[in-house]
Amino acid sequence: MRAAGSKPGVFPVTGTVEGASAGNGKGNGNPRDGDGDAVGLLADLPGLLAPLREEMLADLVMIGQTPAPTGAEERRVQYMMDRFAESGLPEAGPDEAGNAVGFLPGRVGDRTILLVAHLDTIVPANVDHNATVLADRIEGPGISDNSLGAAALTMLPTVLQKLNIRLNCNLQLLGSVKSLDRGDHAGLKFFLDHASRPYNYGVCLEGVPLGRLNYFSIGTIRGDISCRVRPVESRSYGSESAIVVLNYIINRILAIETPTRPFTKIRIARVRAGKSYDVDPDKAVLGFEINSHSDEMIGRVTEQIEDIVSEMSARHAVDAELDVFFRRTAGGLRFSHPLIRACVQVMEGLGIEPDQGHSPSELSEFIARDIPAVTLGISEGSKHHDQIDYVMIEPVMRGMAQLVGLLTALDRGDADAPAAS
Amino acid sequence: MNAEQWLRERTYHHSAFWDLKKMVAQKEEQNLKISLCLPTLNEGATIGKEVVLLKSALMDHYPLLDEIAVIDSGSTDDTREIAAAFGADVYLASEHLTEAGDRKGKGENLWKALYLLEGDIICYVDSDIANIHPRFVYGLLGPLIENPDVHYVKAFYDRPLAFSQGIRPTGGGRVTEILIRPLFSLFYPELAAIIQPLSGEYAGRRSVLEKIPFPVGYGVETAMLLDIYNDMGLSAFAQTDLDTRVHRNQETIALGRMAFGILRTFFNRLSSHERIELKGELEKIMRQHRVEDGRFDQVEYQIEEFERPPINTLESYREKFGLGG
Repeated sequence: MRAAGSKPGVFPVTGTVEGASAGNGKGNGNPRDGDGDAVGLLADLPGLLAPLREEMLADLVMIGQTPAPTGAEERRVQYMMDRFAESGLPEAGPDEAGNAVGFLPGRVGDRTILLVAHLDTIVPANVDHNATVLADRIEGPGISDNSLGAAALTMLPTVLQKLNIRLNCNLQLLGSVKSLDRGDHAGLKFFLDHASRPYNYGVCLEGVPLGRLNYFSIGTIRGDISCRVRPVESRSYGSESAIVVLNYIINRILAIETPTRPFTKIRIARVRAGKSYDVDPDKAVLGFEINSHSDEMIGRVTEQIEDIVSEMSARHAVDAELDVFFRRTAGGLRFSHPLIRACVQVMEGLGIEPDQGHSPSELSEFIARDIPAVTLGISEGSKHHDQIDYVMIEPVMRGMAQLVGLLTALDRGDADAPAAS
Repeated sequence: MNAEQWLRERTYHHSAFWDLKKMVAQKEEQNLKISLCLPTLNEGATIGKEVVLLKSALMDHYPLLDEIAVIDSGSTDDTREIAAAFGADVYLASEHLTEAGDRKGKGENLWKALYLLEGDIICYVDSDIANIHPRFVYGLLGPLIENPDVHYVKAFYDRPLAFSQGIRPTGGGRVTEILIRPLFSLFYPELAAIIQPLSGEYAGRRSVLEKIPFPVGYGVETAMLLDIYNDMGLSAFAQTDLDTRVHRNQETIALGRMAFGILRTFFNRLSSHERIELKGELEKIMRQHRVEDGRFDQVEYQIEEFERPPINTLESYREKFGLGG
């Protein structure tokens, strides 16, 4: 997967140093010693970035400690914009959807890379958001999903500045709002649908894991089935608990045959019902997800679920409704795409093992608009949510080096070559 | 300056000092050196975040601080390792100024910090603050940098906070409201204008701090206020609202021992400031009770408020800072 003549650790990092004179271009591993081009060795980047570690961790803690449930991300947006302004970005402000937007113009500016990190979290605002900084890790609610991705985006202008790297292409930075659950990527969708310039590449930043390399999205729908028991006088079959009826529906859904090829899966993900031990619930809600490599198969399974909901509604005298609020079509890049080759090469140069897979994240919005894009992780960690979320400190600057390496590779045009057939 | 005027003119909110760039410029104009001291004893759960946030904002990003030092009382957890890993200067108090001996207590660390650190202004911040933010430091430094007549700035916390499970705000703390404020009202009524006299965050000029004795234990905050007030009056002080401080709650019985130590310091100051005359030495034993199987036991705690002398009386200090004999 490597470019001809390269080997791990000697993948060059090239960016232009403003005001520097042309030189021999050999490079000495230190981007600060500009010789016309800031040429360094990729493997040296984590070391060069080490002095910025505390600043990066401080951004991570400050963002992580700011509650941002979906739809209430204003304080995180403000923090990110303040930091963009402090780092001297000529454009930094909110857009109409409430996203945090920054723009770093390139020297040439004929191409633009859009980097996005979602700012919202599934953690409710009333949870104690204080983070704990231990010797090897930082713990806190939502710290891995996606405070670290947001911190990486926040720090990027400072990182490029400290390394004296000025790219030829523009960088558009977006802290997106309303991404999760019913937010359905509303912030990113708005931004892409109303963009003032075309985007050549997209890079989605997620906290964990380092090595994450997502470049395709499998078809996905997410929906809720709500089941409400009618008033007693209208019942044909007597009173049944909404949970019991929902259980019938679940059993019928589980009986739907799904093929292994194309891979198709129905996930029963969430049930909400009941208030007390001595009260029959009159409402129950099931959250589910269908994934498939085939959009046609997703359509077929969805139709079957619709039929089940209609039938059970009539049979058990309940008002059952299906609400599909999230749809992603299957698609993405091939492994042979030069963007993926460039990512793999950067990761190998930093000793990062690529972990390829699909992602239902922001990536799908780029795919839907034919913009080549990837999702990358910044560090190791955990986002179990039922235990303490954490990110490991040591790999963080390697994760940032990966990002700088990829941006400089894109700037050089490494991903512009036609994809191998 | 009477208490009313002081309360009006010398009570700040941290937001008045948000412009760190301006504050750094003022600091450089005055050729000031500023040190931050974080006294610790087993603060592994919170010290990392304090060092990361304060160093990043106030040294790396805006060079307001010239040094961040952890002065440790002999932690048995990884407090010192964590602090050093994130770039703080770490000192084990017992290894320095050994000619003065070794005493245990926060006041000992604050006193030795005057010798170990270089700043013209020393800012002291406790190490157990869960919601640490750069405002805890720049909010205290602001009045000192802006106003040469201010010599000592005390923190207070005024925003109510939703809390649970043992975490509570310090605003209107029990010892303050039940002990200190009545005592100040009785004997030093002007000092009752200080909203939170026991807060663990304060900053002062070296020229003032080097001249006062430091109790090594509970009484250090009270002694600082009383001694500076006795020397310079209320106009030497300012106070800053830092909004909210979250830390672990202390049991009432532990606060009782704290109150005993503070009372000893207070009465000693009343005596030395010639406000009352004590007939003999104060007791050093605090007696509390516990019940076991229906039987009451008395538990005795020896709480001796040992005091360090003004550090400018130490030969090694005078040498290091070029003070004449």
